[in-house]
Parts: sequence; structure tokens; C-alpha cells
Amino acid sequence: MAEYVAAALFVYTDDTKYLIDPVQNNSARTRITAVAFEAFMQTPQAQLEGIDHVVVAGSLEVIKEILRLSMKYHFSIGIIPTEKQKDLIKFYDLPKNPTDAAELALRWDGQVIDLILCNGKIMLFKATIGRIPLLDTPAKASWIRVLADALRKFVGFKLYTFKFSTAGKQKINTAASGCMILQHSRGSFASRLMSHDHSFSDGMISMVISAPISIIAYVTLLWQALRSSKGYKKLPSSIGYIKSPQIDIEPETLFDVLIDDEDTTHTPLHCETILKAVRVNVGKSLQDEGVGAAGAGEIIDIDNLPRENELLKAKRHKRIPFFSYASEERFQDLFPALREDARINSIYLVLMVLSTMLATVGLYLNSASVIIGAMLLAPLMTPIVSLAMGILRGNIDLFKNSIGKIVIGIIIALLSSALITFLFPDKPITEEMLARLNPTLLDLGVAIISGIAAAYSKSFKEIIQSLAGVAIAVALVPPLAVAGIGIGRWDFHFFYQAYLLFSTNLVGIIIAAIFTFRVLGYSAVVRSKRSLAVVFIFLILISIPLYLSYARIVDDRVFEKSWQHERFLVNEKYLIIRNASLFRRGDKRIILMDILAREPLDRSDLNAFKKKIQANFSKKLIIRINTFYIP
Amino acid sequence: MKNLIHLSILLSVVFWLGGCEQKPVINPSGKTIKIGIIGPLSGPDDIKGKEGLRGMQFAMRMQPYLQNGDRIELVAEDDRNDPALTVQSLKNLVQKNMISAIITFSTSDPVLAMAKVADDYKTPILAAIATHADITAHNGFISQICFDDHFQGTTAALFVRDELLIDKVAVFLNPRSAYSNDLATKFESKFKSIGGEITDTIHLAEETADLSEKIKRVHNQMPELLYLPIGAKDVLRIIKEVRDLNWKPRMMGSDGLISTMLTQHKDELHLLDGMLSIDFFAHGMPVTPFGEKARDAYNDMYKGKQRVASTTYSLLGLEGYALLLDAMNRCTDPADRQCLNHQIRSTENFTGLAGKITIGPDGKAQRALCINSIQNGLSEFIVKVY
Repeated sequence: MAEYVAAALFVYTDDTKYLIDPVQNNSARTRITAVAFEAFMQTPQAQLEGIDHVVVAGSLEVIKEILRLSMKYHFSIGIIPTEKQKDLIKFYDLPKNPTDAAELALRWDGQVIDLILCNGKIMLFKATIGRIPLLDTPAKASWIRVLADALRKFVGFKLYTFKFSTAGKQKINTAASGCMILQHSRGSFASRLMSHDHSFSDGMISMVISAPISIIAYVTLLWQALRSSKGYKKLPSSIGYIKSPQIDIEPETLFDVLIDDEDTTHTPLHCETILKAVRVNVGKSLQDEGVGAAGAGEIIDIDNLPRENELLKAKRHKRIPFFSYASEERFQDLFPALREDARINSIYLVLMVLSTMLATVGLYLNSASVIIGAMLLAPLMTPIVSLAMGILRGNIDLFKNSIGKIVIGIIIALLSSALITFLFPDKPITEEMLARLNPTLLDLGVAIISGIAAAYSKSFKEIIQSLAGVAIAVALVPPLAVAGIGIGRWDFHFFYQAYLLFSTNLVGIIIAAIFTFRVLGYSAVVRSKRSLAVVFIFLILISIPLYLSYARIVDDRVFEKSWQHERFLVNEKYLIIRNASLFRRGDKRIILMDILAREPLDRSDLNAFKKKIQANFSKKLIIRINTFYIP
Repeated sequence: MKNLIHLSILLSVVFWLGGCEQKPVINPSGKTIKIGIIGPLSGPDDIKGKEGLRGMQFAMRMQPYLQNGDRIELVAEDDRNDPALTVQSLKNLVQKNMISAIITFSTSDPVLAMAKVADDYKTPILAAIATHADITAHNGFISQICFDDHFQGTTAALFVRDELLIDKVAVFLNPRSAYSNDLATKFESKFKSIGGEITDTIHLAEETADLSEKIKRVHNQMPELLYLPIGAKDVLRIIKEVRDLNWKPRMMGSDGLISTMLTQHKDELHLLDGMLSIDFFAHGMPVTPFGEKARDAYNDMYKGKQRVASTTYSLLGLEGYALLLDAMNRCTDPADRQCLNHQIRSTENFTGLAGKITIGPDGKAQRALCINSIQNGLSEFIVKVY
């Protein structure tokens, strides 16, 4: 059964005057002397004569003054919150109802708790330095204000260099967008990101340091905070954590420090714990937490904070990038694999020759399945992915090696297919070859999607086997083989069109893979913009012929469709066009038509038909017809 | 990076310069070339003449000068579509107005009358809407910009037989119209020659009192299609009789039907829904660059104003004017009638509004016709026959 104090002083303000009656008429039968805050502050000693418990209802500022006097006059404190003091209710687990709150406030078994002083000011819940959008959301703010405030903070979101010193003489140099000092793990959005091993009375100050490497990383962090209510055993990336009885914070720039969302001071900031400073009546859940071990060891978890090159980047005061970047140490498995992929070896050379030979024979056989086999065998995709990473990170060695490997692969492929074509007695042009002579912007689309898939597959070991599917989708070797056949036939148009398709695939994959790696956070701390610019110029240059080709194909399809409405009266014979297909061979356009006719067509009919087509359409059209007779 | 910026600027300038097209500048010479127009500007067929003239006037707004700077002037004569007046108009224009060429919007009968004397006047005449096959025969000066009835009748018969797969057709004709007779005869002979059956050939008098009886007789023969190379008024009478019988055969009209309906019988246009018709143009058909240019100019002219719909007659007027100027531009002296006649008859692949037009030495035009389906007052394009 609860026990209550026999007598208490009730300190109120104008805003909490209405609580005098409920407090005085308390069910605990405690004798209450009500006194206005201003009057109490004028003669506190006299007012406290014979009283060792004070109940207070007022603003945070008022409560902090009472806490300060409590340290001096050693009285215990009960707090009656108003409805609007949600943070107070949450942090001390106080009842919302005034009668219940008064009942708790008048108990004699208050919890001994520490007080944190930051630059001499009492901090009850938290202190915020710099920018920690959304994590520093005030408890009583409306969501519109929260969002507006977050957006404002995201603009110009930067990392600054900070120096942190602890009671254990640890000095930490790092970069951060901001940091937050927490009194207690309860209720705060930020406290969801760390383990809950700290309490009101452990003599420690907890500090969360926010150092996101990108906006994406920060959004991920917010998502993690939103998902977890129990805290993480391992700190999320972008977050550092220090726990110490005393923390000094010295940022390179002067920052305002917001204490409990109200009071302000500025950096440098010195925060210290006054161990077991006051006795306060808190809610049952906090009483159950018990008293922490005073003087327990410091915790310094700063593995996720920027260092070395990353710190240099922060010193440049650039905005936090949208996408993440990383040092090689962060991806220790991937980079050696990529370096290996960029090296020329005998397996690569043999596979390149075999896949091109297979593709060339498949093209001559007009066999899709043989060509697919060649695509699977082709080893070109891996150096292209390495090249993308080399460009993204400005890694000259990776770039040079992979470029060299690709160029050698291309030369081998062209020579192999050209040689087979030289040796081939018959040189038919098959549909599989023709299909690779009209690259368009759509092919660039296929290459881009495949490039994304390739980089994504490479980034995750568990889906690396999907690279085979990517190789089939983008089909690098068959267009190269067709280009080689063009060389073997001494047909520049053949070579150019097929090589354009290969170049489309190559540039598309590189661009998409760079983008994907960047989104996945593989870009270097200090990126090479020049190499990126060169690749984008290539993309634009290759898009011009592709766009023209695409526009031409659209025109051709419209032209083909229009023929379904065309009829011809030739020497009194009525010719109905059923289907028309247009093919291009260099400058020549070949139209293949299926026509319906009632009577047999002789040479004179066909000549008249040809003349009509050439007069009304184009003289350059080469006409091929299949005639079907109406019964 | 600087070099790249310079290259980009250079490329932009090159592309921009490449995209610029310089329009030829024509300096007026002070001379005037007269083009005569003969057509019914009054009387029951006045719409043909008025619409043709409107098309020519619009074309003149687009192209008021020849390339040598000579200004074009139009001189119109109303012949009320009466053969005697047509011949008189020809005489007036040639002898009094000193025109260089004539475009006529009269129908086949008046133009056939003119054909008999055309050589006497040695003046090139372009027949815009007279489609009779004999118009260009027996004279060296009348040329057609329209297709002729031989082509139209043959095509209609083949389309009905080979595309609609119809075996039995009844034909209605106006015995007093050379155009109607010619077209019906050509259709019948071709249709029969390819195995089709003509169930009836109905001759329509002006006020056929027994039309109802005739239609019932036709109905009894169960033709699948009625071929109607007759005037819009007669087409409407037949449609109403057919409806009274609750009969729904397919019907096919000839060139100019939709234009006459649009201008003279707009209230009854809905009765033609579903009917097939042959014409020079169609709603929704692909047009040539010249067609696009004319459409843009037309839209500009009627910007913010009540639009007047184009008809086949006005479009043929526009084309005729453009073709005539094309021939004039090929003559050293555009007023030289002999040269002009020769150039008209040497027109090869002239780009009209919807396709190419070639006029041979015999004065006949080779141009495509459209077979359309009338839906909601519009001629919806089905096929184009070359």
C-alpha cells in the first residue's frame, strides 16, 4: 500500500492555479500549503520551514527552478503535469489525470535521479546540436511543423567536424551533421536507435551522433528508427554513440544548442552529470527500472562515424550527397572480385573465341538456341561491370585493366567472326543477322535495364547466378559477331549497324551499372567527375544515331501499316494489299507485299504495278510480291 | 571541360543553322496573268461553282504570284451548268478577258459541249469535277484534274465484287445525265465481266411517280448492294423508299455525293449513315506536305471565326489552281497558251492535297480515288485505289 507525505508545499503558477483544489482535497489526506511560484522564489527558505516535500505544477522552466532549489534544500519533488506537457508525462511516466497525478506526487517514496547540467543549465530530456532532421522532433509539435522543420533541415544538410571529449579523457575527432544528448531512453525517437541500458540514475550522459553519408542513408536510418521500438543491439550505420559521466562538445562552427526544445545555449558545450541529485516521484514503470550502477564504464561506439578520407570530405563543407559513398574497407569482398574480373587471363581469351565462334555459326544457321548458348558462354559482362566501378570510383587501375580486357575481347570477337566468314563458302544473310542491324533507343533501354541488373547481381553474392540471365537479355557477343561478319563480307553498313548495337549495349550497361553502384552506395568518398562526364557524353553521342534509327523504324511501321489501305487498279485488274513489310539494306528499301488478285498477273501488269508504286511512293523502293488469288 | 563546352556550342550552332530553311523571295513583276473560271455560280447546281471558286480564291491567298513575279487574277463566268452558256462563257473569257487558262467546275454535260469547240479557242482548260471519260477525247485542250468515270466505275465494280464479295447488285441511273449513264454502264459491264449479276438497272426520271413500285421490284430480286451514280436528291428518295420497306441493303454512291449533301441537304445527311461512296478525298486520310500546308493556312484563316467546312469541289479548286500555277511556272511565258497546255499535259507526279497527280498527253489524270464509308456526316476513309 502506498504511503504519502504528511505535509507538502504546492507551488503553482497562474496557468496551474486551477489545480489547487484537487491537490488540497487529495485522497492521501496530506496537508497542503499552496504558494505561488513568484512568492516561493522570494523566500524559499522560509516557505520550506518544516516541509521536505514540494509538489510543483508549471512550465518546464518553473520545474527546473524547483529542481535547482531541491539540490540546495534537499526536499523531494512531486510533479503534476498539465495536459500539454506531453514530454514530461512521457519521460517521467506521469498520469495525465490531475487527481491521479496529485496522488503520485504526494507519495513519500520518490526515485533518486541524476541531473544533467549543460553549460550550467538543467537538461531534463534532451539537448540538440546541429541538424538531426525528424529524430529531434519535439513531442508536442504538429506533423505539419515537423515536416516543414525536417525539410528546412534537409536543405543544406552538411557534415561538420566535431571534437568530443569524455570524462575518461577520450578525445574523438569526427564529422557529424549534429548530435543529441539524452537523459533517458524513454520516449525519444532517437533513443530507438540505441540499446536501452541507461537509466535516470546511472551517473551517465548518453549522446547519439548523426553522421549520414548520404540522404539515402539518413532516410534508411529514419526507417530503422520507425520500425524499432526496442532499440538496436548494434548501432545502425550513420550513427555513433557515446556514454560518459561528462561530455565536452567542440564543433568547428558555432552551433546553438536547444535544451528540452525550449532553452538555448551555444557551443562549445560542457555537459556533466550530478549524481543522485534529486528525489522525484516518477511513474511505476520507471520505479521498476531501479537504480543503475553509478560510475559504470564509458561506452564509445564510433565505428560508423567518418574518418580519414571521409573526414576530409566533411572539411570541404559540401552538402551531404543524395546517394551514398564508401571507402573500399566497407566492401572488402566486392572490390577484390572486381579487380580480378578486370584482369586478362587465358580463360577469358579462350571463352571469348569460343563464344564468338559459336555465335557466328549460330547466326549463319539462323539458330536462336545456338546464339543463346554463345551469349551464356560470353565472358564480356564481368569486365564491363568492373569498368563501371572503375569509372564511378575514379580507380585508374580498375579502369585501365577493364578497358584493356574489353578492347582485347572486342578485337578477338571481330577477328574470329571475320575469319569464319572468310572461310565460309556460302555467306547467307539470315534473319538473326538482320535482327541485329537496326538498333534503336529501345535497345538502349534493354541495355540500361540489363546494366542495372548486372550491377545489382554483382553486389549481392546470393543472386550472382542471375548474371547469366542478364547476359542473355543484353546479348553482347552476337552483335559483335555480326559486326565481324560485316568485316568478312567487306560490308561497312553491315559492320556499322551491328557495331552500333554492340556500342549501345556497352554504353547502356556501363551507365546503368554506374548508376546502380552509386545508388547502392559504392561511390568513392572523393568521386571522379571527369570520367562520369566522358561516359555521359558517350551516351548522348550514341543516342543520336539510335534516336534517328528509332524514328526511322517508327516511320517504317507507319508506312507498312498504311499499305493495308492501298489498292491498285492495274490493266483493269484489282490488287488488294494484305500485308507489307519494309526492309532496309543500306540506302535501299525493300518492300515485301502479300497481294490478293482475281486474275493471273503477267509481266505487263507487274510493270504497271511497279510504275504506280514508284510514281506514288518512292522510286527507290524495291518491290517484292507474293500473290494470292481470289477464288 | 572547356573544350567540351565549346564543342557543344559549335554543334548547337551547326544544328540550328541546318534547321533553318530559306524561303524563296518573289519580287512582283507588275504583270498580271488571268485565269478564267467557268462554273454554275447560280441555279440548282450553284454550289459546285461557288465552292470551286472558294477553293481557288483560298489557293490564291496562299500563292498569289508566279515564280517570275506575275500576279494571278481570277475571272469568273457563271454558266448555270447549262451547256450553251458554258460555250458562251468560254468565248467570253478567251476573246474578251484574254485569259491564259480556264478551270471549269461545270459537270460532264456542259464540259462535253465545250469539248466540241475547245480546239477552236486553243486555250488550255482544266476540268475539275467533270469526270466523263469522253471529256478529253477528240480535243487537244481540255484536261481533267479529276479521275474519270472509267476508272471510278471499274474500281467500284471490283471493290464490290472482290472486297465486299457481293454477287448481286442493282444499279440506278439518271438517263438524262451523261455522267450517270457513263458511270453506270462502266460499272455494269465490269461487274458482269467478273461474274457478278446485275439484278436490275433502274432509270430514274425527274419525278418518278412509281419509284416505290420500282424499289419493291428491285427488292424482290434480293440484290445485296444498290449502286447509285446519281444526284444527292435521288439518292435520298431511294433511301427513304428502301427504309419504308424495312430493307437494309448496302449502298454505294459516286463522287461529289457527300459534298452536295453537306451543302444542300445537311438536315438529311444522317440518312446516308453506313453508305459507301467514292470520292477524291476522305476524312482522316493521310495528306501530303502540301495538304498539311493548306490545312495550316486554312486553320489560320478561320482562327477565331466560324469555320466553313471544305467540300470536294473547294479542294479540287485548290488543287487545280496549284497545278495550273505549277505548269505556268514551267513556261517561259506563262501567258503562252500552247506552252501552258503542253505543260499541263506533261504534269508528272504533282503533289496534290492527298497524293500525286499525273496528267498524260491525252489530258487524263492519273490520281487515286478513295472509297469511303459515310458515318455521322463524314466520309470515313476505307481504302485508296491508285
